[in-house]
Amino acid sequence: MNARPLMRLRFTTAPVEEIGLTPHGTLSIFPITGGSFEGERLRGTVLGGADWVTAAADGTRELDLRVTLETDDGALIHMTFTGVRDDANHYFRTLPRFETAAPKYAFLNRLLAVGVGEGHRDGPVHTIEEIL
Amino acid sequence: MNTRLLMTLRVTVATPQNIAAVPHGTRRTVPITGGDFDGPWLRGSVLPGGSGDWLLLRADGVLELDFRATLRTDDGALISMRSFGLRHGPPEVMEALARGEAVDPAAYYFRTTPRFETSHPSIRILEPSHNRGNRRPTR
Repeated sequence: MNARPLMRLRFTTAPVEEIGLTPHGTLSIFPITGGSFEGERLRGTVLGGADWVTAAADGTRELDLRVTLETDDGALIHMTFTGVRDDANHYFRTLPRFETAAPKYAFLNRLLAVGVGEGHRDGPVHTIEEIL
Repeated sequence: MNTRLLMTLRVTVATPQNIAAVPHGTRRTVPITGGDFDGPWLRGSVLPGGSGDWLLLRADGVLELDFRATLRTDDGALISMRSFGLRHGPPEVMEALARGEAVDPAAYYFRTTPRFETSHPSIRILEPSHNRGNRRPTR
């Protein structure tokens, strides 16, 4: 299977909202206050959103993120991903989906992508590749 | 089916992010900047971080609402709320709503199905497994 780079995406986050232990696990909501993304075909800023993170008893975390991206030429992109993060095993993978009305970026509506995340002190960084 | 009042929720919103025409309809994301809720057993405020309504106007004219918000009760408990909803009605009513005019709520269909998650013991009744008829107080 081949892939090619789509973007590198950085988020800045606000203090976490700890919902705590619920029937599905321990829910933490990370508000996303901004960020940036860049790739050969698109670049811009993150307008905001959040990541609903549910920690299971085995320490793995299920991610459920929604953000709005704005390209440097003014197009808005609705981005979501689900993902798995297991820091003990250095595993942090996501499945992003995109929706946009901008013809220039319509290719995003019909591609599937995989992301590899890295935790950083000032917010996560995601390297996202398009599956070819 | 019997129901009882849980809460009245009011939210304040920021300028919508108009994603516009996407493959399934017209998408608009509305950041929620705050708000409040009150009911017989719980009251509090809406946190701005991580709260929003992801709207999709379908080709058949029905608006799908996909809402998420974090609520904080007046005694400090956090509640994650997620709600799916539908809104539709006669074109002239929907146009008046879009212009921000006051419209009789009975003139259109606007229903939502909220779900709640919390770890706070005093409000665990909100969770589906606790939210059965036999836990309702006798009236």
